[in-house]
Amino acid sequence: MMHSTRFATLLSLSLLSAGALAAEGGAAPGKSVEDLAKPCAACHGPDGNSTNAQYPRIAGQYHDYLARAMQEYKNGERKHAIMAGFVNTLSDADIDKLARYYGAMPTKLDDLAHYEQGD
Amino acid sequence: MTRILLARSMKLALLAASACVTATAFAEDAGNKGDPKAGLALVYTCGGCHGVTGYHNAYPNYHVPRIAGQNYDYLIAALTEYKKGERAHPTMRAQGESMSDEDIRNIAAYLSSLGTAGNAK
Repeated sequence: MMHSTRFATLLSLSLLSAGALAAEGGAAPGKSVEDLAKPCAACHGPDGNSTNAQYPRIAGQYHDYLARAMQEYKNGERKHAIMAGFVNTLSDADIDKLARYYGAMPTKLDDLAHYEQGD
Repeated sequence: MTRILLARSMKLALLAASACVTATAFAEDAGNKGDPKAGLALVYTCGGCHGVTGYHNAYPNYHVPRIAGQNYDYLIAALTEYKKGERAHPTMRAQGESMSDEDIRNIAAYLSSLGTAGNAK
């Protein structure tokens, strides 16, 4: 009896926190990262390596830099009408998910460490 | 009547002239792509942060981005934004302010020529 009450309490607590987590997801709770990434692909390419030079390559970029950039578009520190429009609908958790998703893709970028630097 | 005609033809001439000016401006812009060799001579400073694999920005703490192989036009836009103070990062703003538009084009030409594959045009 005692055990089943405890179990019930635990269960309801975990359900509550699951609900809270979903609510934190913001405008799009439960959206998969693939769904979140669909609008990004239009400019940054499905593999994150934009073929139009005006858009940055994001595949394999450091994920914390990508997250930082999205946060800056969201809070207005960086100004870009299109990016602001997309990022404003994302929660912090969505931004982190997207940043890790693109950060883990095969990259064409590199650190400058591996190249000649100056004369 | 002649005055109206004259006014009209002047307007046309003005229009044609301004179209020519715009066309020339575009042509100049397109032909003014940066020189990667000149860029190589300028990126020495960049290496202090972007040339250290895994290097972290001191505050706020995040990785300094990978810039080798980044796209040309985007690099120009980013550096120009730092130059104009439209992006906040203090170190990058200081760097941008020290660059001429030509420096920026040359640096972008060099950086976009790097990386593991051909770059977007």
